Amino acid sequence: MEPIHTHISRQYNTELEEIRSRVLQMGGLVEQQIEQAMIALVKGDVSLGEAVIMDDTKVNKLEVTIDEECNQIIARRQPAASDLRLVVAVIKTITDLERIGDEAEKIARMAVRLAGEERPKNNYAEIQVLGQHVRQMVHDALDAFARVDVEAALRTAREDRKIDSKYEGAIRQLITFMMEDPRTISRVLDVIWAARALERIGDHARNICEYIIYFVKGRDVRHTSLEQIEKEILGR
Amino acid sequence: MNPEVQVAVRKATPAYNGAMNPPSKPELAATGASPRTASRPVIKAQAKDLNFYYGGTAQALKHINLELAEKQVTALIGPSGCGKSTFLRCFNRMHDLYPGNRYEGEILIHPDNVNILARNVDPIEVRMRISMVFQKPNPFPKSIYENVAYGLRVRDVKRRSVLDDKVEEALRGAALWDEVKDRLHDLAFNLSGGQQQRLCIARALATDPEILLFDEPTSALDPIATASIEELITELKVRLTILIVTHNMQQAARVSDYTAFMHLGELVEFGDTDTIFTNPTNKRTEDYITGRYG
Amino acid sequence: MSDLSDTATQVSAIRAMIARHKRWDVIFSMIGLAAMLLGVITLLALFLDLVLDGYGRLNYEFFTSFPSRHAGQAGILSAWVGTTLVMLVTALAGVPLGVAAGIYLEEYAPRNWMTDLIEINVTNLAGVPSIVYGLLALGLFVYQFDLGQSILAAGLTLALLILPVVIVATREAIRAVPGSIREAAYAVGATKWQTVAHHVLPYSTAGILTGMIIGMARAIGETAPIITIGALTFIAFLPPSPVSTTPPFVSFDWLLAPFTVLPIQMFSWLSRPQVAFLENAAAAGVVIIVMTLAMNAAAIWLRYRFRKRIKW
Repeated sequence: MEPIHTHISRQYNTELEEIRSRVLQMGGLVEQQIEQAMIALVKGDVSLGEAVIMDDTKVNKLEVTIDEECNQIIARRQPAASDLRLVVAVIKTITDLERIGDEAEKIARMAVRLAGEERPKNNYAEIQVLGQHVRQMVHDALDAFARVDVEAALRTAREDRKIDSKYEGAIRQLITFMMEDPRTISRVLDVIWAARALERIGDHARNICEYIIYFVKGRDVRHTSLEQIEKEILGR
Repeated sequence: MNPEVQVAVRKATPAYNGAMNPPSKPELAATGASPRTASRPVIKAQAKDLNFYYGGTAQALKHINLELAEKQVTALIGPSGCGKSTFLRCFNRMHDLYPGNRYEGEILIHPDNVNILARNVDPIEVRMRISMVFQKPNPFPKSIYENVAYGLRVRDVKRRSVLDDKVEEALRGAALWDEVKDRLHDLAFNLSGGQQQRLCIARALATDPEILLFDEPTSALDPIATASIEELITELKVRLTILIVTHNMQQAARVSDYTAFMHLGELVEFGDTDTIFTNPTNKRTEDYITGRYG
Repeated sequence: MSDLSDTATQVSAIRAMIARHKRWDVIFSMIGLAAMLLGVITLLALFLDLVLDGYGRLNYEFFTSFPSRHAGQAGILSAWVGTTLVMLVTALAGVPLGVAAGIYLEEYAPRNWMTDLIEINVTNLAGVPSIVYGLLALGLFVYQFDLGQSILAAGLTLALLILPVVIVATREAIRAVPGSIREAAYAVGATKWQTVAHHVLPYSTAGILTGMIIGMARAIGETAPIITIGALTFIAFLPPSPVSTTPPFVSFDWLLAPFTVLPIQMFSWLSRPQVAFLENAAAAGVVIIVMTLAMNAAAIWLRYRFRKRIKW
């Protein structure tokens, strides 16, 4: 993780580094949740799915802890400029990470439900691809956060579009399955919920990239189109 | 939340009625317009390529260019020795009191476009238009009334009724009238520190200055007195332009509309306070504001 | 267990060291006390001796009789009147000059080598032996200005004598006024003179008055310069009254009249062989000391009065 220049107060420095590393710790946990939920879904592994569902409490606890630490920093240190933006970005990021955790938990629930059902012919191929892409996007977003890299954040944010179109494709295919064989409808619906959860994770990962841009550049780019952002931030 | 605080907040907040508009806030209207609402601020004073030399040789200010917006508060921040007090004192020619000091460049006062640093401009005339409040409260060892009235006496105002009115007006302007109206002829030294500083502000106000200079006005005061002086500054900016030097960054953030960061005699960055404190352009400013160096 | 005994030995070692150091406190305070007592007791003894010698002569007649060849009938009327009048002239001449010079040097004079030179010389003048002033006065006032051996000449001489004291006291008093008050006055738009007249002078009044009274207390006892300019030792008449019944109702003839002062009277009595005159001299001495003490007491009281309003 790239260190930010040190403050005169070493304690303050430690506190800021602490929340940064905790965010990455939470991100790592959440990434793992996604991975394991996907494996549980594809392999039909019930115990793994249940483990993911239980581990969601860990994610929630981390959110509360980091939030508390951010409150303390604001109360004690009156952060300004980039420190202020860091704390604000962290508070927002952990909210999105916690939601990603919730979505992973939903995928795990679907995995548990589908474990007992008949496995599809293509072995959840379309979901697997989507899941892989989403996991990579989350990983890249956390990486951009660690390296405080605006260009990486922008690249990753752009991935959300691809994920959205992959999601549309997956939905179309699943609808086709449902139309071909109406007996599979309830099963396929569960898969659709899992796909939706993955698409949501992509949105949250894009939000995290927006917070990174805010932290570095001081511009709040939520609800701004990517083209607009690129023109203003990167000047092209 | 403390249950008493809860009850108090509930009582103070009007009920939600599903309306789109938030409840009105009359208090905000009384204070001056924030720079965000002003389209382009009117300039009251302008420093142009200002250099200053102590004793003729030691350069303390280097090529300062800065504009003071009318009826707004501009704050000067920076580490010790950066020249902010030196710069402040150029505005009322205080450096003229000590031999050998030399100014280069101009400070123009609008609307009449006078360069107050020009040799043919009398410093006394400048001080009649621009008043100052000092770091340590320095009331004269006279009565409260005489302290405030001194500025008027120096301007040959003799009629008792006029003096009485102006003294009352000034003390009201400094939010001190209610506390001292029954003891105007008490010695000023019997007031508390915060009251003495407000007395000094009243003394500066009595002469209706166009610009009011504050040199670290609250550094010698406790937090409550500090807060009341800050509130006073916010009220005063409706009528006059204020330039304040402070080493307390949070005070600058709370009180000012524009902030200038100075370092080693140079003006490093100048902009509206919101931007300077959330997203400054210059790295030196950022380092100073976040406490990365003194 | 060893920690406890370690601490105990440390503590007692520290205590022993402090006791050793404190012994010097005690020794010095005793030396200081002895020195002070020596000085005070000696002075008290001298004063008491004087009082005992002259006590018998301190009565109403003493104060209202002229000196005479008979010790029992001699009095200090002309002497104390002369002292009072000379002090009046000294005060009126020396104080305004000294205060004005002090103000000029402190507030208005530019800081260059010439001002420094003047400053050094003024301070040195305070140490010049008074007889030199007497010689100067003889040449300048008595002969050159043709004032003769008069109260005016004596008064002006003593005024010159106390001038450095008054100047220095004035400067110190002015310097004690904090710069923050001056800056406050200038910041409100006052000119230099307004600042000096409305602020600096009123707040330094205590110091200036003290300087003035200390100067006068010194002048009252100066014998040498007065002798030099020729104060007579046997004056059996008073100078003409300043107030007259014919217009103009004020007369200045007394300024040019011959005179004597208390120290001179004392000196003259001391040179007589008769013991009775020594008693007279002692009585006159007591009078001089009481007058000096009274002036110093007045100085202290005035200082207190004027300092009360000021808190810096």
